[in-house]
This record gives sequence, C-alpha cells and structure tokens, in this order.
Amino acid sequence: MSETAIQIRNMNKFFGTFHVLKNINLEVAASERIVICGPSGSGKSTLIRCINRLEEHQDGSINVLGTELDDNVSHIDQIRREVGMVFQHFNLFPHLTVLENCTLAPMLARKTPRGDAEAAAMRYLERVRIPEQAAKFPGELSGGQQQRVAIARALCMAPKILLFDEPTSALDPEMISEVLDVMVSLAKDGMTMICVTHEMGFARQVADRVIFMDKGEIVEEGAPADFFGAPRNERTRQFLNQILSH
Amino acid sequence: MSVDTLSPLPGRKQSLLSRLFSRPLDVVISVTVLLFAASVLWQLSKWAIIDAVWTSPDATSEVCRGVSGACWAVIDVRWRLIVFGLFPYEEQWRSSLACIVMVIVAILSCVPMFWTAIRLSALWIVGFSIFYALMAGGVLGLTPIAPDKWGGLTLTVFIYAAGMLIGMPMAIALALMRRATLPVIARTTGIIIDSVRSLPLITILFTAALVLPFVLPEWLLGDKIWRVILGFALFFAAYEAENIRSGIQALPSGQEEAARALGLTYWQRTSRIILPQALRNALPPTINQFVISFKETSLIVIIGFFDVMASGKAAYGSGEWSFAWVEVYVFVALIYFIFVFSLSRYGAYLERRLRVGQH
Repeated sequence: MSETAIQIRNMNKFFGTFHVLKNINLEVAASERIVICGPSGSGKSTLIRCINRLEEHQDGSINVLGTELDDNVSHIDQIRREVGMVFQHFNLFPHLTVLENCTLAPMLARKTPRGDAEAAAMRYLERVRIPEQAAKFPGELSGGQQQRVAIARALCMAPKILLFDEPTSALDPEMISEVLDVMVSLAKDGMTMICVTHEMGFARQVADRVIFMDKGEIVEEGAPADFFGAPRNERTRQFLNQILSH
Repeated sequence: MSVDTLSPLPGRKQSLLSRLFSRPLDVVISVTVLLFAASVLWQLSKWAIIDAVWTSPDATSEVCRGVSGACWAVIDVRWRLIVFGLFPYEEQWRSSLACIVMVIVAILSCVPMFWTAIRLSALWIVGFSIFYALMAGGVLGLTPIAPDKWGGLTLTVFIYAAGMLIGMPMAIALALMRRATLPVIARTTGIIIDSVRSLPLITILFTAALVLPFVLPEWLLGDKIWRVILGFALFFAAYEAENIRSGIQALPSGQEEAARALGLTYWQRTSRIILPQALRNALPPTINQFVISFKETSLIVIIGFFDVMASGKAAYGSGEWSFAWVEVYVFVALIYFIFVFSLSRYGAYLERRLRVGQH
C-alpha cells in the first residue's frame, strides 16, 4: 500500500449556519487519481478548496502530506507550496506575461533563481504545448490556452498534489479536449490528482476512484467500472442518468 | 463605371462642410455661431496681444496709462514676486534652482526607467536634499533662510511634491488597513478616513499650523511647514485611499485566491498581484485627486504662507499696479494650467501604457 497524500477525518464546514460539508471522510493515496462529481451546490468545490485552505473547515481534521492543516500560518504556507490548484476561470494574472505568471511563485515562495525558474517554466509550457506564447499576456490567448498556462503555472511549483476545480466548465466545447489531454498525460506520469469535473469520459479513462457528492455528503465512491456500471445509490443513478443521457 | 472613377470617402474638410451647411437652417446657425466665435476671438486677441503693453522700461506703471489692451508689463516687472514670494532678492537664484530641481525630479520619476523602488526613493531623497539645502541654506556657505520667507511658485511646488510623496504611501496603507481581516483595524481605519474626509482642508491646515502647538510637546512640533505638509498629505491620503480601495474591490476574487493557492504570502500577494492591478484600475480617479490637490495648495495662504496665488495677489496689490489684477490672475492661471494639463496628459499616457496586452 502506497503512502497517504491526503487524509480528511470527520470534517464539517459551515457557511454561517448553512452546513455545506457534512462529516467528510476521505483518504487519498500518493499517485491516486480521484474524480469528484455531483450536482451543483453539492459541496464538491468547497471540499477541494478546504484542502489548501481557500476555505476554512470548522470541525474534524485535514492532513496533507504529513502536515496538519490548522491555524498555523507556516503549516498553511507549507501545504500551499506542495498543492497546486487549477481554477474554473483560470485566474491568470493579467498584468504579467505567460512566462512571468509561471515564474512568479517559484521565485517568491521557493526562492528559485530567475534563470532556473524560467528554464523550468519553459519546460512546463512545452509540456502543455504552448511554449511559443511565453511572451504574451493572458488576455491575448484563447480560453483553452489560458487554462493550459494555468496548469503550467501550477506545475512550476513542482507540487506533489494537483487540485482541479471544474477546469473545463468555462471553456468552449472545441477547447475542452486540449485541456483534458494535458490532464490525462499528467495522470499517466503519476501525479496525485483530485478533479472536480463533469467530464465522465475523463473519469472513466484515468480515475482510480470516482466520488459522488450530494447535499454536502459523500454519497458513493468506487472504481469507475463499478461506479458507472452498477451505481448502488438511487441519487447516484439519477445524477448519472441526467448527465449521461444527452 | 471603372473603379478609378469612384469618388473616395469625403475628406474631413468636405464632411465638415457638408454637415454644417447642408440645409438652410444649418447655414443660418453655423454662420451665426462662427461670426460670434470670431468676434470673441478678435476681441480677445486685440486685448491680449495686439493692443497689449509687454514691457515697462522704467519699471513703473506709466506705460500702461490710457492703453486699451492688456498690461503685461506688470508681469515683466513683478514676476519675481509671483514666482519667489518673499524670498530675499539676491538669493532668488537658489529658489529658482530649487524649483527646477523639484520639477526635474518629478519629470524623471514619470519615466519608466526609474520605476524601481530603489531608484525612485534615491531620486526623491537626492531631490529633496538638494531642494532643502538650496532653500534653507546653512550649508556650503549659503545664508540660512527660514521657511516663512519661502514663497511663490517654489513653495507651491515644494508643498505639493512633499505632500503627495508622503500622502501616496499613506493612502496605500489606509486602503490596505481598511480591508484588513481584523475588524478592529478595518473599522478604526474606516473611522479615520471618514473623519478626515468630513473636515474641510482649511480646518486641517489651521489645526496643523495653529492648534497643534498648544497640544503637542515642543520636541514633536517641528517647523510649521512640515506640520502643514503632513496635514495636506493626510487630507490627500483619506481620499486617495478610497480610490485605491475601489481599485482593489474591482479585482475578481480569483486573483487573490490564485495567489494564495500558489503559496504567496500576504505581502507578496499584495505587492505583486493586488496593488499593481488595483493602482492601474484606480488611475483615472487618482490623477483626478492629484489635480485637485495641486489647486488646493492655494489654501495654505490662510496660515501665512505665500504660495503662487497669494504672491500673485501681492504683485498687483501695491497701489501702483492695482489696475492690472486681471493680467496677474491670467498669468497665475497659466502656471496652474501648465502643471495640471501636463499631469492629466501624463495620466492619459500611463493609461495607454498600462493597457498594453490587457483586455
């Protein structure tokens, strides 16, 4: 059994009085690929945002790569350096070039010298197949290109875990596959990944485990074959019918 | 019909003519307006240029007696008073040099080459040191001259530059503190900003110059001119902080989140991601604030400083030239116009420059 990357125990989260995440227990092994799906408002984005403290949980414990996620700022910084995140709306820094977007965090948070940071950035930009855009600003790129830059930016911190928060939901249909291709190739290289996505084809192809959430709870989880072939829970069946029927 | 004979698009002149004179009513309106404009322009240039008196050989107002045009001789005779105020006559070269130094430093700091923290601060420290040495004297064999003798354009430029230079970091600090996660800090800052904004600048200057000496201990007072500059800076900062805050507010929350997810600390996020974008967003109101503040420097006259406006008034106030107040005010207005217009043109340049590659 490989080592544990993320361990979430009895975690609860509230937005004011609204109970968003209810008693979440989740263990993610290193190099494991997990896809989280569920209807909107089910708490799936909130769950992965708790892992790098973009959202604070109120109860239970989260341990990431052996570091306990608590109010200790140095723990939070430690975890954020090791956990990369890709957002639905890319969130590239519009006032910086593509290359600067990629080198900023390694130079500031890891104190990497500029030369090394730029060499690494070019390597990752090649990996997502847009090295020729390095000198451009994000606003000059298409959505699919921007999302690939966002993935390269996350990779530049050499994270051990990557979180994807609906990375293809804001893209035009013809650009989805260029982003998914990059994600598939990352999965093949053994990156630990948690993806919130509705791309069920992607889930079938790369996921070790698919998790279905509804109303703030993990309703069902299993290997893709079991999950799609024989969902046990009624809510899972309904959801799969809805998104697979069109 | 061949392509060559097709008429090209009407030129600017042609399209203007056709728009102004196409229908009979248009012709009437256009002709009336043009005649009116021409007569105003003629009267104005007759007064300001054609019938004007430019110099006074004997430095008295006799040359302007019975002249219908402008008496620019008053500027010729009294310009030193307007530009230097009460600064001792034989030392006025120091004041003019100091003013030029300040303007050059201001212009240099607008050049992108100087836009690093070290270069900018070095530039202004050197600039202010030279200015202060020249104006106050007491070093390098220069006669000491107390700040209450400083005056005119030089004083205006100095108070403005010092006020803005202290005010801008204050504004950024206030804007950031107002967005602090600790409610105590955020609310206290809010109260400070609202209090300063609800006071007229005159009250603040008056307090700084005349009330503080009764309240503060001697060693904390400093010279009146510095208290006035601090009051001026605080007033500017309260307004500018809100401009900057609006710039921060306009950023999508994803910017801050992405920076946090990358492991950047608060100061790294603020200095590299939030402020550069927020200041760009806040540029138009910021330039506006700078322009307003330049004109507000004229209020320092009420606490006994002779800025360019007040010394202009002194220039025509001495009996002999009292008829020439219009000419003096036109001259002072021209000085203000040159400063403010350059400032707003520079703002427009910055907007164009910072928009590069961004949508």
